[in-house]
Amino acid sequence: MVRASFTILRDAGNGLCKTLSEILVCPLSKQPLRYCEETNSLISDAIGVSFPIKDGIPCLVPNDGKITETEDTSKTDDSVDSSSTKN
Amino acid sequence: MASLQLSLPSTYSVRPRPVRCADERQTLFNRIAPVYDNLNDLLSLGQHRVWKRMAVSWSGAKMGDQVLDLCCGSGDLSFLLSEKVGSNGKVTGLDFSKEQLSVASLRRNMSLKTCYKNIDWVEGDALDLPFPDGYFDAITMGYGLRNVVDKYRAMQEMFRVLKPGLLSSRVSILDFNKSTQPFTASIQEWMIDNVVVPVATSYGLAKEYEYLKSSVREFLTGKELEKVALQVGFSSARHYEISGGIMGNLVAKR
Repeated sequence: MVRASFTILRDAGNGLCKTLSEILVCPLSKQPLRYCEETNSLISDAIGVSFPIKDGIPCLVPNDGKITETEDTSKTDDSVDSSSTKN
Repeated sequence: MASLQLSLPSTYSVRPRPVRCADERQTLFNRIAPVYDNLNDLLSLGQHRVWKRMAVSWSGAKMGDQVLDLCCGSGDLSFLLSEKVGSNGKVTGLDFSKEQLSVASLRRNMSLKTCYKNIDWVEGDALDLPFPDGYFDAITMGYGLRNVVDKYRAMQEMFRVLKPGLLSSRVSILDFNKSTQPFTASIQEWMIDNVVVPVATSYGLAKEYEYLKSSVREFLTGKELEKVALQVGFSSARHYEISGGIMGNLVAKR
């Protein structure tokens, strides 16, 4: 098996396939996501979390999410309980 | 920006397990990603390709369908599905391992087959799927269910994202068979101890593949899988044993 060692021209990491952006929802709230071109991420307005897109692949594992900055900067609690039980 | 911290309950098992929570499993699959395909071929003597074709057939995926390949890993099932659904269809391959998805993406980009353009890769969790209700015509899951920490929850999510209706959308879940026949179970364990682990050791992955034995022991039997599928709401569920009972494929209809 030949292992490729040459550089592959990769997706710039910006943007998302149109059909994918239309079907994806927030993994926690199941509400629609909004693509933010500035940060190249998918925003869940329902729970105020953003999920990154890396090499054209949306990262929608709940742990990948970051709480978006809101006007209310006094919020310090970063914990969000997942609806799933992981034993 | 603050990180999203999820509270994960600690393991509750009374006996120590080498790989317990989802984070450790994710790390494991990231580590084996570079040699995963090679080892699959070597350890199954190429048979895994046959089993995967069977799993895709059982899924009922056809031209024009929207299909989901859960725990897609390096993409074997996704590529087979891509050929089935054609350019009017769409395959979404989901996995929680960045490294496995990188391999899948690289394989697709290096392939000369233009039909593979109908595949999208998503990094996600099988227990919290980022898809709307009732979207997919078919779902496959190859060697994934055994590795999720909450099988019931995974089945619930699969049920949720499958299309309801008269045309009977299906899940096809391929994995090791947890046999109720002591002889088959012994053969399986012997092969893992005496073939799989030594070969994996030569790749520096002994511990990762030793996990295989405990994961099969802790998996559900075919009958138990059928029961869980019916409990979450599938209208029918049938588990087929293949290759002398070493492997199994659950087919459940919504």
